[in-house]
Amino acid sequence: MFKRLLIGAIVLMVLGFGGFLAFAWRPEIAASQPPAPSSFDPALVARGEILAGAGYCSECHTPKGGRPYSGSRPMVTDFGTIYATNITPDPETGIGKWSEEAFRRALWTGVRRDGAHLLPAFPFDHLTKLSTEDVAALYAYFMTREPVHSVTPENTIPFPLNIRLFQAGWKLLFFTPGRFEPRADKSAEWNRGAYLAEGISHCGACHTPRNLLGAEKASATYGGAFIDNWVAPPLDKSNPSPVPWSRDELYTYLRTGISRYHGSASGPMAPVVHAGLNVVSDADVRAIATYFADVDESAPRAAEEKAAIDHALAADKRGVGPDNDPAAKLYTAACASCHYNGGEINVLRPDLALNSAVNLEDPTNLIRIILFGIDAKEGAPDIVMPAFAHGFSDEDVAQIAAYLRATRTDHPPWQGLVEKVAAIRAQGKTEE
Amino acid sequence: MASLHRLQKAAREAAGSALSRRGFLAGMVGTSAAFGFSRMADAAMDPATANGVPPKPVGALYEPSLWYSIDSAGNVTVNIIRAEMGQHVGTALARILADELETDWNKVNIVHVDTDQKWGLMVTGGSWSVSQTWTLFSQAGAAGRIALIEAGAKLLDADPQSCIARHGQVVAGEKSITFGEIIGKKAVTRHFSPEEIDKLPLKPVAERRLVGKPVTALDVPTKTNGEALYGIDAHVAGMLHARPKIPPTRYGSKVVSVDDSAARKIKGYLRSLVIEDPSNTVPGWVMVIGDSTFAAMRAADLVKVTWEAGPTANVSEKDVQDHASALIDKPEGGVLLDVGGPKGRDVAKAAFAAADFVLEQTYTTATVLHFQLEPMNALAFEKDGIFEIHTGNQWQSLILPVLAKALDRPQESIVLRSYMLGGGFGRRLNGDYIVPAALAAKALGRPVKLLLTRHDDVLFDSVRSSSVQKIRMAFDSGNKIIGMEHHAAAGWPTEVMAPAFMPKGQDDKPFDPFAIAGADHWYDVGPQLVRAISNDLANATFRPGWLRSVGPGWINWALESFMDEAAFHAKMDPVALRLKLLSGKGQNENAGQAPKAVGGALRQAEVLRRVAQRAGWGSPLPPDTGLGIATTFGQEREMPTWIACAARVHVDRTTGKVRVEKLTIITDAGTIVDPDGAKAQTEGGALWGLSMALNEGTEFEKGQVRDTNLDSYTPLRIDETPELDVSFVDSAEFPVGLGEPATTVVAPAIGNAIFAAVGVRLRHLPITPQAVLAGLKAVG
Amino acid sequence: MTSFTINDRSVTVDVEEDTPLLWVIRDEIGLTGTKFGCGIGMCGVCTVHVGGRPTRSCITPVRAVEGAKITTIEGLAATAAHAVQKAWIDLQVPQCGYCQPGQIMQAAALIRDFPSPTDEDIDAVMSGNLCRCMTYVRIRAAIKQAAAALRGEVTNG
Ligand code: FES
Ligand code: FES
Repeated sequence: MFKRLLIGAIVLMVLGFGGFLAFAWRPEIAASQPPAPSSFDPALVARGEILAGAGYCSECHTPKGGRPYSGSRPMVTDFGTIYATNITPDPETGIGKWSEEAFRRALWTGVRRDGAHLLPAFPFDHLTKLSTEDVAALYAYFMTREPVHSVTPENTIPFPLNIRLFQAGWKLLFFTPGRFEPRADKSAEWNRGAYLAEGISHCGACHTPRNLLGAEKASATYGGAFIDNWVAPPLDKSNPSPVPWSRDELYTYLRTGISRYHGSASGPMAPVVHAGLNVVSDADVRAIATYFADVDESAPRAAEEKAAIDHALAADKRGVGPDNDPAAKLYTAACASCHYNGGEINVLRPDLALNSAVNLEDPTNLIRIILFGIDAKEGAPDIVMPAFAHGFSDEDVAQIAAYLRATRTDHPPWQGLVEKVAAIRAQGKTEE
Repeated sequence: MASLHRLQKAAREAAGSALSRRGFLAGMVGTSAAFGFSRMADAAMDPATANGVPPKPVGALYEPSLWYSIDSAGNVTVNIIRAEMGQHVGTALARILADELETDWNKVNIVHVDTDQKWGLMVTGGSWSVSQTWTLFSQAGAAGRIALIEAGAKLLDADPQSCIARHGQVVAGEKSITFGEIIGKKAVTRHFSPEEIDKLPLKPVAERRLVGKPVTALDVPTKTNGEALYGIDAHVAGMLHARPKIPPTRYGSKVVSVDDSAARKIKGYLRSLVIEDPSNTVPGWVMVIGDSTFAAMRAADLVKVTWEAGPTANVSEKDVQDHASALIDKPEGGVLLDVGGPKGRDVAKAAFAAADFVLEQTYTTATVLHFQLEPMNALAFEKDGIFEIHTGNQWQSLILPVLAKALDRPQESIVLRSYMLGGGFGRRLNGDYIVPAALAAKALGRPVKLLLTRHDDVLFDSVRSSSVQKIRMAFDSGNKIIGMEHHAAAGWPTEVMAPAFMPKGQDDKPFDPFAIAGADHWYDVGPQLVRAISNDLANATFRPGWLRSVGPGWINWALESFMDEAAFHAKMDPVALRLKLLSGKGQNENAGQAPKAVGGALRQAEVLRRVAQRAGWGSPLPPDTGLGIATTFGQEREMPTWIACAARVHVDRTTGKVRVEKLTIITDAGTIVDPDGAKAQTEGGALWGLSMALNEGTEFEKGQVRDTNLDSYTPLRIDETPELDVSFVDSAEFPVGLGEPATTVVAPAIGNAIFAAVGVRLRHLPITPQAVLAGLKAVG
Repeated sequence: MTSFTINDRSVTVDVEEDTPLLWVIRDEIGLTGTKFGCGIGMCGVCTVHVGGRPTRSCITPVRAVEGAKITTIEGLAATAAHAVQKAWIDLQVPQCGYCQPGQIMQAAALIRDFPSPTDEDIDAVMSGNLCRCMTYVRIRAAIKQAAAALRGEVTNG
């Protein structure tokens, strides 16, 4: 993703718009004294805390094993490392001197207090939809955090890609500021879900494919994308899983980290569920589910569900019994003990015929999970999928993936699996 | 062949005393002084207790013989010199003794003892344990009973003739006294001379109270709750951990250089040690030492060793097999067995010269791994002048002299502590894995625990050698069988590891009995020529192992497949042909001899007849489904276990997959001591046979086996396990062996069943779907 | 430092994060009932429960179980799963016994997932557990017996 953003910056630089500087320039907002924590209404702080969870701010702004929101967490890109900023109210190194106005401007337009443009690694294109009240709540929450003195390291993005001014050009092309507009033809719950999903939770940041310049493609919202070495599956009806994401199923998934018909929240999705949405109310999570159940048009497709499940259960039985196919033998010995279901799907026995990793166009997620497993704090809480990387050769993993694809789905076979496994093995388990 | 007897005799000579009689003194031993009991407490392993430590004896102790003691609470502790690897051997042996002793079974403990000269030969294999111990333990128990009755009668003021012993009590009419009370009063004085012991009669069958009755094996409960202690669980304070770098060839590899720079990054890695081994057991080994199991494992992945490889670095499976074929084709090599008398060779030649038709077929088997589930391990250290080895092992007496040589110290100062074996199957008859642990402990002056990863374990396995066999049969013009030849070439484990135990064949040449047993069958086929050939290329490339049933596993595959082919040629029913030949007649003493082989071929005929009946031989079957039959005498002629198997298989004509639907097995093993244990051994043995028939088999590539873990080596799992119908002939004859016989009948039964199902004759193990498909294509 | 609960005891271990859970359990915590067979997740002798699910500890990095609840064969007796152990003793399933802790851990979970297991269910779920002594026929029978006991159809002991 960031590679594209940076290419965008170069392109724009080369084009060299006249008057661009004038357009791009933003004033500094004067430093203010940090407000006393006691000056904030506790109810507002509490609301901000939930919003921060819904936006999983800590995912980027809290360093691994470090103090909350003190920044410095690295985001590695091909061109260098971007460090998330310190958003504690420390006056020197954090946002202590930011007025609420400066904070709001950052969220709504992606501009720092000093007037510099923020990189779109910060999802201001979504946060711009937040209401004034919600921004105030977030401000109250962050300004009442423990201040941490921690200097954010310089990004290692080389010159001239590091010229922040040029981000303004990107905004000109792809950024539409403005608050969320409810749709009159939808229910209040739907609108609440849409507000959260499109705004604070910035779902599209991962699940919407990006154009060459790194901006979300408006024409393919929620069409699925590559992010951080994982595939963020499509959330619209192009999702190839046999069972459509219904409101109930998605709700369960977002609440517990696992869905009977799709699998578990792994990779970058794991913290979204367990270190983000977990503080959000059931009603709000249900609202998000309501919204996406509409996005993927699951209601009219509900009739597909039973056939898909029966088909899966039948496929499940393959590979049991005398079988001299080496891939089947591998599967039987290494996988079936956990993944086989008898007469009905058990949520704790993820069904691989239904699983999105097996049905996706790209095998990356499946390979990652076979190689590196799923930790207890990911997916269904407390449950672990072991990591086969040390035991299995690239060929073994490729055989299992190909076998599942062939016997569990009607999709075309994946190509170049062995090379793909080798490449993913070399990347390692990238998420923490 | 006299393998067992020779083995025993050789061992007696080696031990310098008669194995079964030494130290057999019936008398009062008031304290534990006689055998240093306190030392035994931590040396012996009681599989029924959580930490393996035997319960402390109560009060005075009576040791009627070397083999057991009784304390003042009446607890009987039976000393077991056999390794426990799944046979529940201690339970079976203690039952024999306790039955004659007339004690209360609930008061019986077993202890697996450490190595001490006094025990004589310590080996667990060949399905010998019960058969070899039967008389010894029966008489030991009887001696104790007699002594206790005499003493008890005195205390009860009764006539010994009117007293009986039951459930740990001496009873005289209304009066009784427990064994414990008698011993507590130190009232037992009776001594027996070995000659007296030898004359003690065994109980009549009707009086047996424990033998043949159901029992929960004493080692079972701790094997369900994690308490059973295996070699891998051995632990001593301050021990270091080691994993080897296995050289490219089993022999002759020399270490050129060791580069451990990458391994030094591993936390807990200590050093790499090039092993100098005066016994030449593990030439070219480097031990990677760490302060934890995982540190040693991880570090060994990163240590780079350069070797100058031995001469077999490029040997392939095909090379080994081609060499075997060439040896068979050379008429002069190999060793002729005494089958059919010393003139057998000439008579057989004459029969073939006169034959109207000669049927000849060649059978082969691939290399098979032991793959016992617990990888090889050993903990070694020196303490108080004794070198202690903590591990599971099947043939302690074989490895002790090797260790003495390797460590350069007297054998008496080395002791092996017995742990449970996480599978033996013959792998642990060869104690080679102990040597590097001991050498590393010596070099470092610290306790060292060696643990092989699975990959290491497989590379270092003493595999079941691949084999080539040629069988010929001469028929006269009336299709009567008038002579037979059997030539078998394979690696010879006994030649490589225990040459002193090889008996001699014709021309006084030694041969490996374990690699040919079965060819000396009980069929009356006229003059016979049996030639055992050592495959020297196999012996040089790897260390051939004794693997569950050893030779009979491949010999009978050939023989029993061939018997069906002979029946086909003679247009006879395969069962009918065998029954005709199992007549108890013939020049090869097929009538059998007491005690173990009493009844001879007629008993084999009986199990065959029964299995055919029970499996529905001759009844119609669905399409592509066939019933195949085979029968053997198990391990060896001197201790025949009569066994027959019927396999029902289904063959999928499109994929070539063979599904074994059911195995029916009938065994006559004489007296059965532990019926459930006997059944379990037969079930396990039969499924091993099936696994080696269809699932297992690897190949040598560049001097090493190709498949080193379960991703490509695929032993039988539960989903391929057929229905089993296992039963025994009710018999009071001398007990014989049960650990291996079932392994020997299954593969040929399956091969014969495939032929019955689809008309394809397969002559190589394992049977692959590809081979079945090729066969189907060939027959059209 | 990784912290988790094992057999209801909280532990914190100081080992490299990628150390397999198996070696942490055996060497650091000293519970040796869990065994080592293949090291690649294909024999099942190292099976423990993580969050109640059977898990191959030889290929589970200790990092993965941070905060989780682990049960080993030593801790199983305290649960309803001891019906499995009873059936195992009753039918004398173990031979060498080396695979049996893993078999029992797997079977205990199987019965929870499939209260009335068919042969097909047993074969599918237990195929990941190799028994080199080939005690498979008895494993099938013991699982059915234990399941029946837990369903209350048979009073076990
Ligand atoms: S040791 Fe873990 S599955 Fe084999
Ligand atoms: S009982 Fe020995 S491996 Fe299963």
